[in-house]
Amino acid sequence: MDHLIELIPLPYTDAVVALGAAILGITAGVLGAFAVLRGRSLVGDALAHSALPGVAIAFIVTGAKDTGSLLVGAGVAGIVAALLMVGIEQTSRIRPDAAIGVVLSSFFSLGIVLLTYIADLNNASQAGLDTYLFGQAAGLLERDVALMGALSLASLVVVAVLFRPFKVTLFDPSFASSVGLRVRVLEITMTTLIVVAVIVGVRAVGAILMVALLIAPTVAARQLTGRLGRMLVLAGVIGAAVGVSGALVSMRAEVPTGPVIVLVAFGTVLLCLLLAPGRGVLWRAGKLRRDRRRARNEGVLVDLDTAVHAGPPPTERELAQLSGRPRREILRGLRDLHRTGMLERDGDRIFLSGAGAGAAHGVHERRHLWTLWLEHGAELDLPDAREPDPHDLRASLGDEHTERLFALGTWRPPSP
Amino acid sequence: MSTDVTIILTAGLVATATGLIGPFLVLRRVALVGDAVSHAVLPGIVMVYLLFQTRAPLAVVVGASLFAVVCVLSIDALKATGLVKSDAAIGLVFPLLFSLGVLGITRYASGIHLDLDSTIYGEIAFAPFRTVSIGGFEIARSIVQLACVSVFNLALITLLWKEIKATTFDPDFSRTIGIRPALLSRLLLIAVAITAVIAFESVGAILVVTMIIVPAATAYLLTDRLWVMVALTVSIGWVSALAGHTGASAIDASIAGAMGLAAACGFALVLLASPRYGLLARAVQRARRRRAIASALESAAPARPVA
Repeated sequence: MDHLIELIPLPYTDAVVALGAAILGITAGVLGAFAVLRGRSLVGDALAHSALPGVAIAFIVTGAKDTGSLLVGAGVAGIVAALLMVGIEQTSRIRPDAAIGVVLSSFFSLGIVLLTYIADLNNASQAGLDTYLFGQAAGLLERDVALMGALSLASLVVVAVLFRPFKVTLFDPSFASSVGLRVRVLEITMTTLIVVAVIVGVRAVGAILMVALLIAPTVAARQLTGRLGRMLVLAGVIGAAVGVSGALVSMRAEVPTGPVIVLVAFGTVLLCLLLAPGRGVLWRAGKLRRDRRRARNEGVLVDLDTAVHAGPPPTERELAQLSGRPRREILRGLRDLHRTGMLERDGDRIFLSGAGAGAAHGVHERRHLWTLWLEHGAELDLPDAREPDPHDLRASLGDEHTERLFALGTWRPPSP
Repeated sequence: MSTDVTIILTAGLVATATGLIGPFLVLRRVALVGDAVSHAVLPGIVMVYLLFQTRAPLAVVVGASLFAVVCVLSIDALKATGLVKSDAAIGLVFPLLFSLGVLGITRYASGIHLDLDSTIYGEIAFAPFRTVSIGGFEIARSIVQLACVSVFNLALITLLWKEIKATTFDPDFSRTIGIRPALLSRLLLIAVAITAVIAFESVGAILVVTMIIVPAATAYLLTDRLWVMVALTVSIGWVSALAGHTGASAIDASIAGAMGLAAACGFALVLLASPRYGLLARAVQRARRRRAIASALESAAPARPVA
């Protein structure tokens, strides 16, 4: 541990906090995935609330506010709560979110009742018990970081070893049990790991903020990949990056660590939600715009081609009348086509250039091919059942099948 | 009005106000939105303090409501991208708002004592002592407020019953018949946000969160009809309030905590003993089915050669 801390080019206390945040980020990122993907994202919230009766009982039993015993109490209560949650969800028709809610409110109510009982004991040291685990990051000590490191290393090893069974249980529990996996044991292991992650984080960032740290890396990573293995690695990396950068910023600005880490995490999620290739909101909007534009330009091109073949080269107004499109659309289409050199103008008359004629021919061919595909596609006997890409049928079918489609499409006299 | 009656009425009205909406939240899988709101109001309180230097209840409620609505609308917007499930959306938004609140306090208000417990979270035991006079009657303020909210929620779900029902069970179908699920979902969430904030101010957070989720989940185990579920939710809420109050005065414990525990016990009881969906009923069903299969196999066995 000492060597690791010396490796970080920061003052000692900063290095300890940064290392702690990194460990926390990795653990929360990887283990959080198992909560988020099962629709149990808020399990962290329930665990945070269920710590209260645990702490209260630990205090009643030991009669002293000792960090170790209170943490053990919170941990035991957390595991009991998590198991109850999974139990309710799996044995009844209650869905995960309601199960979490029921456990959360029951445990917290119990905690409050126990607190009033403790208050009656007139034990002077009970003050502040209720906020004991909800406080924000106390300065992390090297001892804490070592403990966190050991716990998270152990849980990551478990995830690595049980990766395949976990994966099957996660996505298809009935299949998992049908191939002989012990689904219940795996579920309990998974849940226990999440409890471990929360306990690792709760002293560092506070219970409420731990909720976000379990969720954010997974949600961000999920936008970037659709494969579980990659997603877990990515979530760990994102968690670590978020943790370290949040911790560093909070130290520079001298504000509490937890909230800053949550802000950074949320920013990362937002960025991924907006920009992730293939999924992101802005990415999809951009693609939609490009597709619309291409469809419009192709339409205008074909209309112009038709007009040129039918009579003298049209003016913009004539073209608009002929095609029945709104005039604004025609103008924009013509502007784009002109820019790409598809057309030439003679006064207000419009011609197709050589490239334009070629492109129009290409569009006609593609449309014809699509019609043929709809009509004769079934006769091709393709080797696989995937739907071809309608935008580029030739490339996805291959030249051989394309030629066969054209052949199938030519009219044949009925055989006598 | 005696203290006990006031407390029971207050809790019962909380149960009514939340119980009218709770079932829909449970069915829409956003049961935890109440808990989210309970944390997300912190920046509202900080903002009100920074702008107006006050912790007066009205200003605090307005600021808190503002951020409660921001919270639920953000959750709804995240969900609407189709990229985040509702539970993850809830878990991303409320810690963010809570963080903003904590940062606001440490940065600008570290000198004063500003937290949720001392500003917005009320305590049900004090409800009888804060009264207003209406037409010469001294009546607890929380009763008046919660009665208004209950009437409002009742009006909301009776007027939009068909729409809320359709969008809850089948958003795609409701879209085809011209109801906008997004709008209804937002409306319902805003109603929850406002209800929750006003109820927090009267009875504290945990009782409200409990009353939103637990009676509705209990009712869900008892019936398949929506209106029965709503009626059961409200009734279970009242019973929990009554039982909790009795229990609390017997062992001299926190009233809100005892009511929550009573609701939790009710849930546990129903989970075990519900006639159709309870664990016992299902165990009996399973055993019966197993016996039926066993006897069927037995009677079929002689016809088949044993391998």
